[in-house]
Amino acid sequence: MFIDPHIHVTSRTTDDYEAMRKAGIVAIIEPAFWLGQPRTEAASFKDYFSSLVGWERFRAKQFGIVHYCTIGLNSKEANNEPLAEQVMELLPLYAGKQGVVAIGEIGYDDQTAAEDKFYRLQLELAKEMDLPVMIHTPHRDKKKGTTKSMDVSEEHGLAPNMVIVDHNNEETVKEVLDRGYWAAFTIYPHTKMGSERMVDIVKQYGPERIIVDSAADWGISDPLAVPKTAALMRKMGIPEEHIRMTCYQNALTAYAQSGQMDELDWLNAEPIDQTKKMSGNSVLRGGQVPRVDGPSDRVEN
Amino acid sequence: MPYLYSPGFIIRNSLFDMSITSQVNPIASLILSALSEQIEEKSLVWLAQKREKILLSGREMDFFMAFSQVSRYFKNIPLSLSQEQMEEANAICEGIRLDLWTQLQTARTYLVLQFPAPDHASWMGTLQKLFETGDMLEIEALYAALPLMPYPEEMISRAREGLRTNITSVFDAVALNNPFPAKYFDESAWNQMVVKAIFMQRPLFKIQHAESRVNQELANIIIDFAHERWSAGRNVIPELWRFVGPFIDSENIKDISKVVTSDKELEQKAALLACSMSTFDGAKALLNQHPEVKTEIETGKLDWNWIGEQALADS
Repeated sequence: MFIDPHIHVTSRTTDDYEAMRKAGIVAIIEPAFWLGQPRTEAASFKDYFSSLVGWERFRAKQFGIVHYCTIGLNSKEANNEPLAEQVMELLPLYAGKQGVVAIGEIGYDDQTAAEDKFYRLQLELAKEMDLPVMIHTPHRDKKKGTTKSMDVSEEHGLAPNMVIVDHNNEETVKEVLDRGYWAAFTIYPHTKMGSERMVDIVKQYGPERIIVDSAADWGISDPLAVPKTAALMRKMGIPEEHIRMTCYQNALTAYAQSGQMDELDWLNAEPIDQTKKMSGNSVLRGGQVPRVDGPSDRVEN
Repeated sequence: MPYLYSPGFIIRNSLFDMSITSQVNPIASLILSALSEQIEEKSLVWLAQKREKILLSGREMDFFMAFSQVSRYFKNIPLSLSQEQMEEANAICEGIRLDLWTQLQTARTYLVLQFPAPDHASWMGTLQKLFETGDMLEIEALYAALPLMPYPEEMISRAREGLRTNITSVFDAVALNNPFPAKYFDESAWNQMVVKAIFMQRPLFKIQHAESRVNQELANIIIDFAHERWSAGRNVIPELWRFVGPFIDSENIKDISKVVTSDKELEQKAALLACSMSTFDGAKALLNQHPEVKTEIETGKLDWNWIGEQALADS
């Protein structure tokens, strides 16, 4: 069983969902992000957040995958300040919903003053809601941006164990782990962080607080990055327990701190049908068998 | 109302300061007493606090946040109701099926019924926002509670919007085990619902008052739908013949005959059951050719619930 704790499935096809399920992915987390082109209206954010807790949840369920999400204003769009102010007013409406496991992905892109302002406001929201934070570290000037993200988070009094720092690489991982944070790695095909480099990192640092994800979105990316990396780890002789921790358990432990993510959500053996409950209680199966809804649960459009 | 005097209720009800009131809603006190008997104290205290906060402030944001956060205190597990409570609920709102609700949706409904609704425009505005920002389970809870809301007539277009969803559980919340459609939908909305339910292969016997709302237009749409499916080499669900039965005529009798000669017993029985709803001679003749099925119908052994249950078991 695998968890992909960072994937933008709204931009993936049902073929991807099917392949993910076949490859053993049982649960995913979809962080709120931008859509490749900036939004110009607050209502666009509202509908996007609603789809993260509504339609996409249903879409994933049809393939036996449990969908969670994080809610937040991403750093790129934080630069449109008047719009960002309106989005901030929307966030409390969604942050408390069931299955929202963190505030995220937030942090820095170009490390501007506006990005800093809304990053800080959202750290406060996370504290108030008692939710973990998923940090998007910048792709440019990464090392400095990563350090700054952690500094500011500490300035606002967040405990490192409540913060997942994502998009790490060999240059950032040591400091992130040393300071007590969760270190997530996004496996990108062709560029940046590849599966081979991931194997080396796990060899060097061990499995503690290290999380593997795909961050697959509308760009060139691979929704099977987590199971593929696990397979490569296995081939390269990484112990099974280390694979389990980096590709499943650590993500679960980190995000379950929200109180909104529970292994039973996918181990629950029977589809819950309230109209059938009179004839029998749903039974929790002890083994590691994830529940899969039948093809009859899939809708025609 | 004997349930009011259960010891658990008397103790726990003291948490709720009833001197702070909004509109009088008898179902709200019924569901509160049902919840009080099966929910832990901590969650009831939270619910009482939120109720008070919402009533005193009247602020939408307080209401919206509490509505979402119900999931932190109430579980998505079945609500238990006594026979008396079910009867009581049915007396207040005929057809309401609280016995099929979860504790989570019941607590959410309780808060919805507490929010002040001074006039229908403000109520509609608030509910609109609640629907638009709702997650899957929240929206299901809202649709199932439509018949209990203060201005149900104003919610008809919202209910029709619910029928447009492709999320099965949300569609079901409007269409199945809900008295709202039969009571408030006009013919076009009703037909929109039944046709979509057939298309989504939902268990039609869970649509309330199905037979009182049959109509010629719907029967025609269904016959066309069956033709379309057959042309594509696909089957249709046996339950749909229920909506054709009273409108069997010289034109569509050939379709009914075709289903009666089907090699699938359930389809055959459904078509014959449809014939039993018809006054058309050809339909009567068809039924008379199958005396054993006719007897099953006359003795009440074969009815639409039976067909529906069988179809559900086969799916």
